[in-house]
Amino acid sequence: MPARLRGISLVVTLLLAACMPPLERFPVSREAQPFDAANARLAGTAPPVAATVTFERLVNARSEPQNWLTYYGAYDAQRYSPLDEIDRGNVAQLRPAWIFQSGLIGLVADPSDYAFEAAPLVVDGVLYTTGPDGHVWALDARTGGMLWHYRHAIPLDVPLCCGNVNRGAAIAQGKVFVVTPNGYLVALDAATGKPVWTQVFADVRAGESASLAPLVVKDMVLTGSSGGEYGVRGHIDAFDIATGERRWRRYNVPKPGEPGSESWSGDSWQRGGGTAWITGSYDPELDLVYWGTGNPGPVFDGSVREGANLFTNSIIAFRPDDGKLVWYFQMTPHGMWDYDGVNENILFEQGGRRLLAHFDKNGHLYVLDRTNGALVLATPFARADWGEVDPRTGHVTVRRVPTPGGTEICPGPAGAKEWPHAAYSPRTGLLYVPVVEQCGTFKTADTDFGESLPYWGGDVEIVKERQWGHVKAFDPLSGREVWSWRGEHPMLGSLLATAGDLVFAGEPTGAFSAFDAHTGEKLWSFQTGSGIHSSPVAYSIDGKQYVAVHSGWGGWIKGFAPELYGAPRGDALVVFALP
Amino acid sequence: MPLSRLTLLVAALVLTGCEYMGLARPSVVEQLEPPVVRLVNELPQVDRPNEALVTRIYATGGLAHARLGDDGIMRGEMWARPAQLIWTPAIIVMPEGGRLELTVHNPDMMKHAAFMPSNGGHRLLELPPRSSGRIAIELDAPGFYWFGCPVGNHAGRGMLGFIFVEGGVPPQARLDRPPQPQPPED
Repeated sequence: MPARLRGISLVVTLLLAACMPPLERFPVSREAQPFDAANARLAGTAPPVAATVTFERLVNARSEPQNWLTYYGAYDAQRYSPLDEIDRGNVAQLRPAWIFQSGLIGLVADPSDYAFEAAPLVVDGVLYTTGPDGHVWALDARTGGMLWHYRHAIPLDVPLCCGNVNRGAAIAQGKVFVVTPNGYLVALDAATGKPVWTQVFADVRAGESASLAPLVVKDMVLTGSSGGEYGVRGHIDAFDIATGERRWRRYNVPKPGEPGSESWSGDSWQRGGGTAWITGSYDPELDLVYWGTGNPGPVFDGSVREGANLFTNSIIAFRPDDGKLVWYFQMTPHGMWDYDGVNENILFEQGGRRLLAHFDKNGHLYVLDRTNGALVLATPFARADWGEVDPRTGHVTVRRVPTPGGTEICPGPAGAKEWPHAAYSPRTGLLYVPVVEQCGTFKTADTDFGESLPYWGGDVEIVKERQWGHVKAFDPLSGREVWSWRGEHPMLGSLLATAGDLVFAGEPTGAFSAFDAHTGEKLWSFQTGSGIHSSPVAYSIDGKQYVAVHSGWGGWIKGFAPELYGAPRGDALVVFALP
Repeated sequence: MPLSRLTLLVAALVLTGCEYMGLARPSVVEQLEPPVVRLVNELPQVDRPNEALVTRIYATGGLAHARLGDDGIMRGEMWARPAQLIWTPAIIVMPEGGRLELTVHNPDMMKHAAFMPSNGGHRLLELPPRSSGRIAIELDAPGFYWFGCPVGNHAGRGMLGFIFVEGGVPPQARLDRPPQPQPPED
């Protein structure tokens, strides 16, 4: 075939290939249905119980022991239930009342990714809870029957340092508030599960995300940003409950000229971290919100951000009306160990003083006067050789730092306590804490910053051979350890204290257990089938007490329990009651 | 054939808008990178059922843009290509977050279904052989989402597609800081 003809033949072939006959169309005869149409037929709405949840009821949440109205159960973050039907004498008879299986679908997870981390809310017989990847459910708290299900569609390309997770919802004035991994705050109608308004509060293109349960204060709903491993600038935002309009945003890392800005060298404040990924607590009489802030960025290399790096790794107390800082206490100045200061701030009164207790990732329990931030005591609650903390001033003397060749330091990057929450019982006057006993080999390395990419300034490897966990009880005034129970793995579930003088704790093995709040004796345990990395709650219906816990292992397993990477996954809410 | 006629033929082909000719434009050619070219050259060997694979490479079915209507609703069309186990297009681009109405045609002799993401929950459009249906979904956030055919693991065999929602983070949600260094070009 002559060359020219071959050329023409090729062109014609291309023409035919490129201009394929059109694909067939048919008259449209079908409309799409909700995927869970079968469930939708069984359910659709919840009773309008949330319509009467006002700020006043949230302030007095503990006077409604049948309900669990806020993330921590009450503004004081004690994670204490006044219910006492289940007690030390009968807890051995506790058994499952019902199980809700949520059934995740599709491309959401790598082997460690999603986890069920939520604390359910309960309002007058209706249970509201959240899952990873934008899921929210309303359930009949007596039977486990689904009342409604909402899922906010989440794109795949979201920067998630440590798992596709969500820790729960907030509720007020007939609305359920939940954040999505890509930084949307969604207000749902609590009766129907339909969106009322949405607001974007985080910048995924800058590496931000969101995972916390929002906090309702007055007529506002407060959120905090995640993404401390991406060189972001952490912030807390407040939105109008009714309209979704933004009221204010406060950054936890100051700009040049603002108080605290002298603690940052050069332009390092721009990537300074200080995220706010755990829900704060609130004292309505002092009108102060207490919130913990995350690690500075880059995580391990402090040489590019000389100074104390305020207000990272700190407890900040601010006014809810405008976010204005009133006082702060920095646990780990110039952090180099990933010791976020985000953990809960438990508010309680002892000895006539208004106190705040905080178990920090850096391995120390801090008790502060919450009116002014003055330190009452600081004491280690686990192995902590990174530095010494003066028990009266909180001043840090650093002993061990990350190096290019690697330094073994305790605690590891998960901290001596990861985010799962401690509890306080006003009956025993004791604090209860889930402990991670772990060390890591911390390395520094030069890291060029690129917006949206991880900004670690090094790396860390867990020392796997020597890690375990505890549930411990502390006297908050003396700092004395009252009892300690040792578990085979780091403890990664929040604790729940009840007036039955019990402390409930989920274990990474999937066991859900009850301990004697006075002695630490394990009185009961049930295997839920998947590791627990969530926050159990208690509620009652017609006088019958229930205890609910999410079972669903996952999240940042490589960081806090690498020996359980690949352990069975789960996506259940397991609810217990006496026969 | 005189050269002028060949030129005329080529010109006619270009004018017909056939995609091969359109793809030869300089702005496309200059994007070609050796790894991508190698990939495209090797795809025909693996993008068909063979001893090792019973699947098609995802996105084989190409890309199409949804059109934004005057009523603010985006619309598009999609086909289950007969006996191929791929969606055409396999990538649907929405110019912004919002409501997408997709008309889905199944000219195939087998049953398919479109399992699509949407705010509120996934939506399912069942498509008996030789039928068409309509699906309306709501996606408000920029980014990319997956969809698939859940019948007989067709998604695993190639009927997995993606929706790209264009747009950025709204100004009020962005961080207050000067422009930052971006990830380096590859």
